[in-house]
Amino acid sequence: MTSLSLENYLIVGAALFALGLIGFLARRNLIIMFLSVEMMLQGVALNLVAFSSYHGNLGGQVMVLFILAVAACEAAIALALILMLFRSKKSLDVSLWQELREPDQEPITDDEPLLPAPVPPPDPTLTPAGAEPAQRPQETSHV
Amino acid sequence: MLSLALGEFLREFWPMLLVLALGNTAIVALLPHARRSRPAWAIFAGFFTVVLGAALLIHSERFLVETVLFWSFALIAVAAGGMLVTQSNPVYAALAFALVVLSTCGLFLLQAAPFLMAATITIYAGAIVVTFLFVIMLAQQEGHSSADLRSREPILASLAGFLFLGALLCVLHRAYDRPQAQELTLLAERLHRVARAETPQEVFTEMGEPKALAMTSPLVDALEKYLVDETRLHNLEGRWAALRPGAGDKQLGEVKRNAAEVLRQLQEHYTLYGLGGPPRGWENDAPGVRPKLPAANVDALGQTLFTDYLVPIELAGVLLLVATIGAIVIAGRRSEELR
Repeated sequence: MTSLSLENYLIVGAALFALGLIGFLARRNLIIMFLSVEMMLQGVALNLVAFSSYHGNLGGQVMVLFILAVAACEAAIALALILMLFRSKKSLDVSLWQELREPDQEPITDDEPLLPAPVPPPDPTLTPAGAEPAQRPQETSHV
Repeated sequence: MLSLALGEFLREFWPMLLVLALGNTAIVALLPHARRSRPAWAIFAGFFTVVLGAALLIHSERFLVETVLFWSFALIAVAAGGMLVTQSNPVYAALAFALVVLSTCGLFLLQAAPFLMAATITIYAGAIVVTFLFVIMLAQQEGHSSADLRSREPILASLAGFLFLGALLCVLHRAYDRPQAQELTLLAERLHRVARAETPQEVFTEMGEPKALAMTSPLVDALEKYLVDETRLHNLEGRWAALRPGAGDKQLGEVKRNAAEVLRQLQEHYTLYGLGGPPRGWENDAPGVRPKLPAANVDALGQTLFTDYLVPIELAGVLLLVATIGAIVIAGRRSEELR
Protein backbone atom coordinates (compact mmCIF):
# COMPACT_ATOMS: atom_id res chain seq x y z
CA MET A 1 0.00 0.00 0.00
CA THR A 2 1.15 3.53 -0.50
CA SER A 3 2.45 5.92 2.08
CA LEU A 4 0.03 8.52 0.75
CA SER A 5 -3.43 7.96 1.99
CA LEU A 6 -6.62 8.13 0.06
CA GLU A 7 -7.80 11.60 0.98
CA ASN A 8 -4.85 13.35 -0.68
CA TYR A 9 -5.98 12.17 -4.10
CA LEU A 10 -9.59 13.01 -3.28
CA ILE A 11 -8.55 16.56 -2.40
CA VAL A 12 -6.77 17.00 -5.74
CA GLY A 13 -9.80 15.58 -7.57
CA ALA A 14 -12.09 17.98 -5.71
CA ALA A 15 -9.84 20.94 -6.57
CA LEU A 16 -9.82 20.04 -10.27
CA PHE A 17 -13.60 19.64 -10.28
CA ALA A 18 -14.17 22.99 -8.57
CA LEU A 19 -11.81 24.79 -10.96
CA GLY A 20 -13.61 23.27 -13.92
CA LEU A 21 -16.91 24.41 -12.43
CA ILE A 22 -15.65 27.98 -12.09
CA GLY A 23 -14.34 27.94 -15.65
CA PHE A 24 -17.60 26.68 -17.07
CA LEU A 25 -19.67 29.29 -15.25
CA ALA A 26 -17.41 32.28 -15.77
CA ARG A 27 -16.01 32.05 -19.28
CA ARG A 28 -17.71 33.06 -22.50
CA ASN A 29 -15.68 31.26 -25.10
CA LEU A 30 -17.37 27.99 -26.05
CA ILE A 31 -14.09 26.15 -26.42
CA ILE A 32 -12.84 27.15 -22.97
CA MET A 33 -16.20 26.24 -21.46
CA PHE A 34 -15.93 22.80 -22.95
CA LEU A 35 -12.32 22.41 -21.79
CA SER A 36 -13.49 23.21 -18.25
CA VAL A 37 -16.08 20.44 -18.52
CA GLU A 38 -13.36 18.04 -19.57
CA MET A 39 -11.32 19.13 -16.55
CA MET A 40 -14.27 18.25 -14.33
CA LEU A 41 -14.23 14.80 -15.88
CA GLN A 42 -10.52 14.51 -15.10
CA GLY A 43 -11.21 15.29 -11.44
CA VAL A 44 -13.87 12.59 -11.30
CA ALA A 45 -11.56 10.10 -13.02
CA LEU A 46 -8.87 10.81 -10.43
CA ASN A 47 -11.38 10.12 -7.64
CA LEU A 48 -12.40 6.84 -9.21
CA VAL A 49 -8.84 5.62 -9.71
CA ALA A 50 -7.98 6.58 -6.11
CA PHE A 51 -10.86 4.51 -4.75
CA SER A 52 -10.00 1.66 -7.08
CA SER A 53 -6.46 1.48 -5.74
CA TYR A 54 -7.65 1.92 -2.13
CA HIS A 55 -9.99 -1.07 -2.31
CA GLY A 56 -7.91 -3.17 -4.70
CA ASN A 57 -10.93 -3.37 -6.98
CA LEU A 58 -10.55 -2.84 -10.73
CA GLY A 59 -14.11 -1.53 -11.09
CA GLY A 60 -12.98 2.06 -10.64
CA GLN A 61 -10.47 1.80 -13.46
CA VAL A 62 -13.06 0.17 -15.73
CA MET A 63 -15.37 3.07 -15.01
CA VAL A 64 -12.63 5.55 -15.97
CA LEU A 65 -12.21 3.68 -19.26
CA PHE A 66 -15.87 4.16 -19.97
CA ILE A 67 -15.62 7.82 -18.97
CA LEU A 68 -12.83 8.11 -21.55
CA ALA A 69 -14.99 6.58 -24.27
CA VAL A 70 -17.96 8.77 -23.41
CA ALA A 71 -15.77 11.88 -23.21
CA ALA A 72 -14.43 11.17 -26.69
CA CYS A 73 -17.98 10.86 -28.07
CA GLU A 74 -19.01 13.99 -26.23
CA ALA A 75 -16.03 15.91 -27.61
CA ALA A 76 -16.89 14.89 -31.15
CA ILE A 77 -20.53 15.93 -30.89
CA ALA A 78 -19.75 19.11 -28.96
CA LEU A 79 -17.20 20.23 -31.51
CA ALA A 80 -19.62 19.55 -34.32
CA LEU A 81 -22.24 21.67 -32.55
CA ILE A 82 -19.70 24.41 -31.84
CA LEU A 83 -18.82 24.49 -35.52
CA MET A 84 -22.50 24.87 -36.42
CA LEU A 85 -22.93 27.68 -33.91
CA PHE A 86 -19.82 29.39 -35.25
CA ARG A 87 -21.10 29.20 -38.81
CA SER A 88 -24.28 30.98 -37.72
CA LYS A 89 -22.81 33.89 -35.81
CA LYS A 90 -19.19 33.88 -36.94
CA SER A 91 -18.03 33.99 -33.30
CA LEU A 92 -17.35 31.57 -30.48
CA ASP A 93 -19.01 33.84 -27.92
CA VAL A 94 -21.82 32.17 -26.01
CA SER A 95 -23.34 35.53 -25.01
CA LEU A 96 -24.40 36.14 -28.60
CA TRP A 97 -27.07 33.50 -28.24
CA GLN A 98 -29.33 35.66 -26.10
CA GLU A 99 -32.52 34.33 -27.68
CA LEU A 100 -31.95 31.04 -25.83
CA ARG A 101 -32.37 32.59 -22.38
CA GLU A 102 -35.26 32.09 -19.96
CA PRO A 103 -38.35 34.26 -20.62
CA ASP A 104 -38.02 36.29 -17.42
CA GLN A 105 -34.24 36.75 -17.53
CA GLU A 106 -32.48 40.00 -18.41
CA PRO A 107 -30.26 39.86 -21.47
CA ILE A 108 -26.55 40.12 -20.80
CA THR A 109 -25.14 43.34 -22.18
CA ASP A 110 -21.51 44.36 -22.46
CA ASP A 111 -21.47 47.71 -20.75
CA GLU A 112 -17.81 48.08 -20.02
CA PRO A 113 -15.63 49.10 -22.93
CA LEU A 114 -12.59 47.01 -23.60
CA LEU A 115 -9.10 48.29 -23.11
CA PRO A 116 -7.71 49.72 -26.36
CA ALA A 117 -5.78 47.08 -28.26
CA PRO A 118 -2.07 47.50 -27.69
CA VAL A 119 -0.47 49.33 -30.62
CA PRO A 120 2.40 47.27 -31.94
CA PRO A 121 5.70 49.14 -31.75
CA PRO A 122 6.75 50.75 -35.04
CA ASP A 123 9.30 48.94 -37.12
CA PRO A 124 12.82 49.91 -36.19
CA THR A 125 14.70 52.14 -38.56
CA LEU A 126 18.41 52.03 -39.03
CA THR A 127 20.60 55.05 -39.32
CA PRO A 128 22.57 54.91 -42.54
CA ALA A 129 26.07 53.68 -41.90
CA GLY A 130 29.25 54.55 -43.65
CA ALA A 131 30.55 57.79 -45.13
CA GLU A 132 28.83 59.67 -47.92
CA PRO A 133 30.53 58.92 -51.22
CA ALA A 134 32.62 61.85 -52.51
CA GLN A 135 30.67 63.97 -55.03
CA ARG A 136 32.11 63.37 -58.43
CA PRO A 137 32.14 66.34 -60.80
CA GLN A 138 29.49 66.04 -63.42
CA GLU A 139 30.94 64.62 -66.58
CA THR A 140 29.27 65.22 -69.85
CA SER A 141 30.45 62.29 -71.86
CA HIS A 142 33.38 60.09 -72.42
CA VAL A 143 32.91 59.86 -76.02
CA MET B 1 -28.23 26.73 19.15
CA LEU B 2 -27.44 27.64 15.59
CA SER B 3 -24.73 30.11 16.60
CA LEU B 4 -23.16 27.42 18.78
CA ALA B 5 -22.97 25.01 15.87
CA LEU B 6 -21.65 27.77 13.62
CA GLY B 7 -18.99 28.72 16.18
CA GLU B 8 -17.89 25.12 16.46
CA PHE B 9 -17.76 24.79 12.69
CA LEU B 10 -15.65 27.92 12.34
CA ARG B 11 -13.29 26.85 15.09
CA GLU B 12 -12.72 23.52 13.40
CA PHE B 13 -12.26 24.79 9.86
CA TRP B 14 -10.99 28.34 10.02
CA PRO B 15 -7.55 27.79 8.43
CA MET B 16 -9.08 26.01 5.48
CA LEU B 17 -11.75 28.69 5.05
CA LEU B 18 -9.08 31.41 5.07
CA VAL B 19 -7.09 29.64 2.37
CA LEU B 20 -10.23 29.16 0.29
CA ALA B 21 -11.12 32.84 0.64
CA LEU B 22 -7.62 33.76 -0.54
CA GLY B 23 -8.03 31.45 -3.53
CA ASN B 24 -11.39 33.00 -4.28
CA THR B 25 -9.96 36.53 -4.42
CA ALA B 26 -7.08 35.33 -6.56
CA ILE B 27 -9.37 33.64 -9.10
CA VAL B 28 -11.76 36.59 -9.25
CA ALA B 29 -8.81 38.93 -9.87
CA LEU B 30 -7.29 36.63 -12.47
CA LEU B 31 -10.44 36.02 -14.55
CA PRO B 32 -10.46 38.19 -17.66
CA HIS B 33 -11.93 41.60 -17.01
CA ALA B 34 -12.83 44.19 -19.58
CA ARG B 35 -11.25 47.28 -18.10
CA ARG B 36 -8.08 46.03 -16.51
CA SER B 37 -5.32 43.63 -17.29
CA ARG B 38 -4.29 40.80 -15.00
CA PRO B 39 -2.81 42.14 -11.74
CA ALA B 40 0.51 40.71 -10.65
CA TRP B 41 -0.43 40.29 -6.99
CA ALA B 42 -3.18 37.87 -7.94
CA ILE B 43 -0.70 35.42 -9.42
CA PHE B 44 1.25 35.41 -6.17
CA ALA B 45 -1.97 35.05 -4.20
CA GLY B 46 -2.95 32.07 -6.32
CA PHE B 47 0.44 30.49 -5.86
CA PHE B 48 0.30 30.99 -2.10
CA THR B 49 -3.20 29.51 -1.98
CA VAL B 50 -2.02 26.34 -3.63
CA VAL B 51 1.04 26.02 -1.41
CA LEU B 52 -0.83 26.80 1.83
CA GLY B 53 -3.67 24.49 0.86
CA ALA B 54 -1.22 21.70 0.17
CA ALA B 55 0.55 22.30 3.49
CA LEU B 56 -2.75 22.26 5.38
CA LEU B 57 -4.51 19.41 3.73
CA ILE B 58 -1.99 16.94 2.46
CA HIS B 59 -0.70 14.51 5.03
CA SER B 60 2.40 12.57 4.17
CA GLU B 61 4.48 11.22 6.97
CA ARG B 62 7.26 9.52 5.10
CA PHE B 63 9.42 11.44 2.66
CA LEU B 64 9.74 9.04 -0.24
CA VAL B 65 10.16 9.47 -3.97
CA GLU B 66 6.44 8.79 -4.19
CA THR B 67 5.62 11.76 -1.96
CA VAL B 68 7.76 14.10 -4.07
CA LEU B 69 6.12 12.84 -7.25
CA PHE B 70 2.65 13.21 -5.78
CA TRP B 71 3.36 16.76 -4.66
CA SER B 72 4.76 17.82 -8.01
CA PHE B 73 1.96 16.23 -10.05
CA ALA B 74 -0.75 17.64 -7.77
CA LEU B 75 0.71 21.17 -7.74
CA ILE B 76 1.14 21.18 -11.53
CA ALA B 77 -2.39 19.87 -12.02
CA VAL B 78 -4.00 22.53 -9.84
CA ALA B 79 -1.81 25.34 -11.20
CA ALA B 80 -2.53 24.34 -14.81
CA GLY B 81 -6.21 24.12 -13.93
CA GLY B 82 -6.09 27.68 -12.64
CA MET B 83 -4.33 28.73 -15.81
CA LEU B 84 -6.93 27.05 -17.99
CA VAL B 85 -9.73 28.89 -16.26
CA THR B 86 -8.14 32.34 -16.31
CA GLN B 87 -6.33 32.46 -19.66
CA SER B 88 -7.68 34.79 -22.33
CA ASN B 89 -6.04 33.10 -25.29
CA PRO B 90 -7.88 29.82 -26.03
CA VAL B 91 -4.76 28.22 -27.47
CA TYR B 92 -2.94 28.73 -24.18
CA ALA B 93 -5.98 27.36 -22.39
CA ALA B 94 -5.91 24.22 -24.52
CA LEU B 95 -2.22 23.74 -23.76
CA ALA B 96 -2.91 24.23 -20.05
CA PHE B 97 -5.55 21.52 -20.33
CA ALA B 98 -3.00 19.20 -21.91
CA LEU B 99 -0.78 19.89 -18.88
CA VAL B 100 -3.67 19.04 -16.54
CA VAL B 101 -4.16 15.76 -18.37
CA LEU B 102 -0.46 14.93 -18.17
CA SER B 103 -0.28 15.53 -14.42
CA THR B 104 -3.49 13.61 -13.80
CA CYS B 105 -1.97 10.73 -15.73
CA GLY B 106 1.09 10.96 -13.50
CA LEU B 107 -1.22 10.58 -10.51
CA PHE B 108 -2.86 7.59 -12.23
CA LEU B 109 0.55 5.99 -12.62
CA LEU B 110 1.26 6.53 -8.90
CA GLN B 111 -1.85 4.48 -8.14
CA ALA B 112 -1.00 1.40 -10.20
CA ALA B 113 -3.05 2.29 -13.29
CA PRO B 114 -0.51 2.29 -16.15
CA PHE B 115 -2.99 1.34 -18.86
CA LEU B 116 -5.27 4.21 -17.89
CA MET B 117 -2.33 6.59 -17.94
CA ALA B 118 -1.41 5.59 -21.48
CA ALA B 119 -5.01 5.56 -22.69
CA THR B 120 -5.81 8.97 -21.18
CA ILE B 121 -2.70 10.58 -22.61
CA THR B 122 -3.42 9.13 -26.05
CA ILE B 123 -7.09 10.01 -26.12
CA TYR B 124 -7.21 13.28 -24.20
CA ALA B 125 -3.89 15.00 -24.75
CA GLY B 126 -3.42 13.34 -28.11
CA ALA B 127 -6.79 13.37 -29.82
CA ILE B 128 -9.18 15.68 -27.99
CA VAL B 129 -6.77 18.59 -27.40
CA VAL B 130 -5.55 18.42 -31.00
CA THR B 131 -9.13 18.49 -32.26
CA PHE B 132 -9.82 21.48 -30.08
CA LEU B 133 -6.77 23.26 -31.45
CA PHE B 134 -8.00 22.57 -34.98
CA VAL B 135 -11.37 24.12 -34.18
CA ILE B 136 -9.73 27.14 -32.55
CA MET B 137 -7.53 27.64 -35.59
CA LEU B 138 -10.57 27.42 -37.86
CA ALA B 139 -12.67 29.77 -35.81
CA GLN B 140 -10.37 32.29 -34.19
CA GLN B 141 -7.13 32.79 -36.00
CA GLU B 142 -6.33 36.10 -34.38
CA GLY B 143 -5.95 34.67 -30.87
CA HIS B 144 -8.05 36.87 -28.61
CA SER B 145 -11.58 37.76 -29.47
CA SER B 146 -13.72 40.24 -27.60
CA ALA B 147 -15.46 37.31 -25.91
CA ASP B 148 -12.24 36.11 -24.37
CA LEU B 149 -11.49 39.40 -22.70
CA ARG B 150 -14.65 39.34 -20.59
CA SER B 151 -16.17 36.93 -18.09
CA ARG B 152 -19.76 36.27 -17.11
CA GLU B 153 -20.35 37.00 -13.43
CA PRO B 154 -16.82 36.27 -12.21
CA ILE B 155 -17.57 36.93 -8.51
CA LEU B 156 -20.65 34.73 -8.35
CA ALA B 157 -19.06 31.97 -10.39
CA SER B 158 -15.93 31.68 -8.28
CA LEU B 159 -17.99 32.00 -5.10
CA ALA B 160 -20.09 29.05 -6.24
CA GLY B 161 -16.98 27.03 -7.12
CA PHE B 162 -15.23 27.76 -3.83
CA LEU B 163 -18.32 27.11 -1.74
CA PHE B 164 -18.57 23.73 -3.44
CA LEU B 165 -14.87 23.06 -2.88
CA GLY B 166 -15.17 24.14 0.74
CA ALA B 167 -18.06 21.77 1.31
CA LEU B 168 -16.13 18.88 -0.23
CA LEU B 169 -13.01 19.63 1.80
CA CYS B 170 -14.99 19.92 5.03
CA VAL B 171 -16.59 16.54 4.39
CA LEU B 172 -13.19 14.98 3.63
CA HIS B 173 -11.72 16.52 6.76
CA ARG B 174 -14.55 15.19 8.89
CA ALA B 175 -14.21 11.75 7.36
CA TYR B 176 -10.45 11.37 7.58
CA ASP B 177 -9.03 13.81 10.11
CA ARG B 178 -11.38 13.41 13.03
CA PRO B 179 -9.59 12.97 16.31
CA GLN B 180 -11.76 9.92 16.90
CA ALA B 181 -10.46 8.29 13.73
CA GLN B 182 -6.93 8.85 14.93
CA GLU B 183 -7.79 7.56 18.37
CA LEU B 184 -9.21 4.39 16.85
CA THR B 185 -6.06 3.88 14.82
CA LEU B 186 -3.95 4.25 17.96
CA LEU B 187 -6.13 1.75 19.84
CA ALA B 188 -5.88 -0.66 16.94
CA GLU B 189 -2.09 -0.27 17.00
CA ARG B 190 -2.01 -1.19 20.68
CA LEU B 191 -4.25 -4.17 20.02
CA HIS B 192 -1.95 -5.26 17.23
CA ARG B 193 1.02 -5.11 19.56
CA VAL B 194 -0.87 -7.35 21.99
CA ALA B 195 -1.58 -9.78 19.16
CA ARG B 196 2.13 -9.97 18.37
CA ALA B 197 3.43 -10.01 21.95
CA GLU B 198 6.27 -12.38 22.74
CA THR B 199 6.05 -12.23 26.53
CA PRO B 200 3.21 -11.56 29.00
CA GLN B 201 5.02 -8.36 30.01
CA GLU B 202 4.37 -6.86 26.59
CA VAL B 203 0.67 -7.64 27.00
CA PHE B 204 0.69 -5.92 30.38
CA THR B 205 2.32 -2.75 29.01
CA GLU B 206 -0.48 -2.41 26.50
CA MET B 207 -3.45 -3.60 28.49
CA GLY B 208 -2.48 -3.00 32.08
CA GLU B 209 -1.75 -5.63 34.72
CA PRO B 210 -4.65 -7.60 36.25
CA LYS B 211 -3.74 -7.18 39.92
CA ALA B 212 -7.10 -7.19 41.62
CA LEU B 213 -10.20 -9.26 41.03
CA ALA B 214 -12.71 -7.96 38.50
CA MET B 215 -10.31 -5.30 37.28
CA THR B 216 -10.96 -3.99 33.78
CA SER B 217 -8.34 -3.19 31.22
CA PRO B 218 -8.23 0.44 30.07
CA LEU B 219 -7.70 -0.73 26.48
CA VAL B 220 -10.88 -2.81 26.64
CA ASP B 221 -12.78 0.11 28.14
CA ALA B 222 -11.62 2.39 25.34
CA LEU B 223 -12.54 -0.15 22.68
CA GLU B 224 -16.01 -0.84 24.03
CA LYS B 225 -17.56 2.24 22.48
CA TYR B 226 -16.42 1.25 18.99
CA LEU B 227 -17.94 -2.23 18.92
CA VAL B 228 -21.56 -3.29 18.92
CA ASP B 229 -20.97 -7.01 19.47
CA GLU B 230 -18.74 -7.17 22.54
CA THR B 231 -18.42 -10.95 23.02
CA ARG B 232 -14.95 -11.16 21.55
CA LEU B 233 -13.84 -8.18 23.58
CA HIS B 234 -15.09 -9.80 26.78
CA ASN B 235 -13.32 -13.03 25.82
CA LEU B 236 -10.10 -11.07 25.48
CA GLU B 237 -10.65 -9.43 28.82
CA GLY B 238 -11.28 -12.79 30.46
CA ARG B 239 -8.10 -14.27 29.04
CA TRP B 240 -6.14 -11.19 30.04
CA ALA B 241 -7.45 -11.34 33.61
CA ALA B 242 -6.25 -14.94 33.86
CA LEU B 243 -2.76 -14.09 32.59
CA ARG B 244 0.09 -14.09 35.11
CA PRO B 245 3.64 -12.73 34.69
CA GLY B 246 5.11 -16.19 34.47
CA ALA B 247 2.41 -17.65 32.23
CA GLY B 248 3.21 -20.24 29.64
CA ASP B 249 2.92 -20.07 25.89
CA LYS B 250 -0.55 -21.60 25.79
CA GLN B 251 -2.16 -18.89 27.91
CA LEU B 252 -0.27 -16.15 26.07
CA GLY B 253 -1.37 -17.71 22.80
CA GLU B 254 -5.00 -17.54 23.91
CA VAL B 255 -4.68 -13.83 24.69
CA LYS B 256 -2.99 -13.19 21.35
CA ARG B 257 -5.64 -15.09 19.41
CA ASN B 258 -8.45 -13.21 21.08
CA ALA B 259 -6.72 -9.92 20.42
CA ALA B 260 -6.38 -10.84 16.73
CA GLU B 261 -10.10 -11.67 16.58
CA VAL B 262 -11.08 -8.32 18.06
CA LEU B 263 -8.73 -6.63 15.59
CA ARG B 264 -10.37 -8.42 12.66
CA GLN B 265 -13.78 -7.34 13.90
CA LEU B 266 -12.61 -3.73 14.07
CA GLN B 267 -11.19 -3.87 10.57
CA GLU B 268 -14.40 -5.23 9.17
CA HIS B 269 -16.30 -2.22 10.40
CA TYR B 270 -13.92 0.70 10.17
CA THR B 271 -11.55 2.06 7.58
CA LEU B 272 -8.61 1.93 9.91
CA TYR B 273 -6.00 2.55 7.31
CA GLY B 274 -7.35 5.80 5.96
CA LEU B 275 -4.65 7.95 7.53
CA GLY B 276 -1.28 7.50 5.96
CA GLY B 277 -1.73 3.80 5.31
CA PRO B 278 -1.17 1.00 7.80
CA PRO B 279 1.52 1.45 10.43
CA ARG B 280 4.93 0.10 9.63
CA GLY B 281 5.20 -3.64 9.51
CA TRP B 282 1.50 -4.33 9.30
CA GLU B 283 1.29 -5.07 5.63
CA ASN B 284 2.53 -8.61 5.87
CA ASP B 285 0.87 -10.00 8.95
CA ALA B 286 -2.15 -7.91 9.80
CA PRO B 287 -5.34 -9.86 9.35
CA GLY B 288 -7.95 -8.61 6.92
CA VAL B 289 -5.75 -6.15 5.07
CA ARG B 290 -7.41 -4.76 1.98
CA PRO B 291 -6.68 -6.55 -1.29
CA LYS B 292 -4.13 -4.98 -3.58
CA LEU B 293 -4.51 -4.31 -7.27
CA PRO B 294 -2.94 -6.98 -9.51
CA ALA B 295 0.47 -6.08 -10.87
CA ALA B 296 -0.35 -7.20 -14.41
CA ASN B 297 -2.73 -4.32 -14.89
CA VAL B 298 -3.48 -4.75 -18.57
CA ASP B 299 -4.13 -8.49 -18.24
CA ALA B 300 -6.42 -8.03 -15.28
CA LEU B 301 -8.26 -5.12 -16.91
CA GLY B 302 -8.76 -7.14 -20.07
CA GLN B 303 -10.12 -10.06 -18.12
CA THR B 304 -12.51 -7.90 -16.12
CA LEU B 305 -13.66 -5.94 -19.13
CA PHE B 306 -14.47 -8.94 -21.25
CA THR B 307 -16.06 -11.06 -18.56
CA ASP B 308 -17.76 -8.80 -16.02
CA TYR B 309 -18.31 -5.74 -18.18
CA LEU B 310 -18.99 -7.28 -21.57
CA VAL B 311 -22.36 -5.66 -22.18
CA PRO B 312 -21.15 -2.15 -21.25
CA ILE B 313 -18.20 -2.61 -23.65
CA GLU B 314 -20.52 -3.43 -26.51
CA LEU B 315 -22.79 -0.53 -25.60
CA ALA B 316 -19.79 1.81 -25.51
CA GLY B 317 -18.87 0.62 -29.00
CA VAL B 318 -22.37 1.37 -30.23
CA LEU B 319 -22.22 4.77 -28.52
CA LEU B 320 -18.96 5.61 -30.28
CA LEU B 321 -20.45 4.60 -33.62
CA VAL B 322 -23.56 6.69 -33.07
CA ALA B 323 -21.49 9.67 -31.93
CA THR B 324 -19.29 9.48 -35.02
CA ILE B 325 -22.28 9.35 -37.33
CA GLY B 326 -23.93 12.17 -35.41
CA ALA B 327 -20.84 14.38 -35.58
CA ILE B 328 -20.56 13.86 -39.34
CA VAL B 329 -24.24 14.58 -39.87
CA ILE B 330 -24.29 17.68 -37.65
CA ALA B 331 -21.12 19.26 -38.96
CA GLY B 332 -21.90 18.36 -42.55
CA ARG B 333 -25.06 20.42 -42.78
CA ARG B 334 -24.91 23.68 -44.61
CA SER B 335 -26.02 26.72 -42.62
CA GLU B 336 -28.86 27.44 -45.02
CA GLU B 337 -30.56 24.24 -43.96
CA LEU B 338 -30.69 25.45 -40.35
CA ARG B 339 -33.46 27.96 -41.03
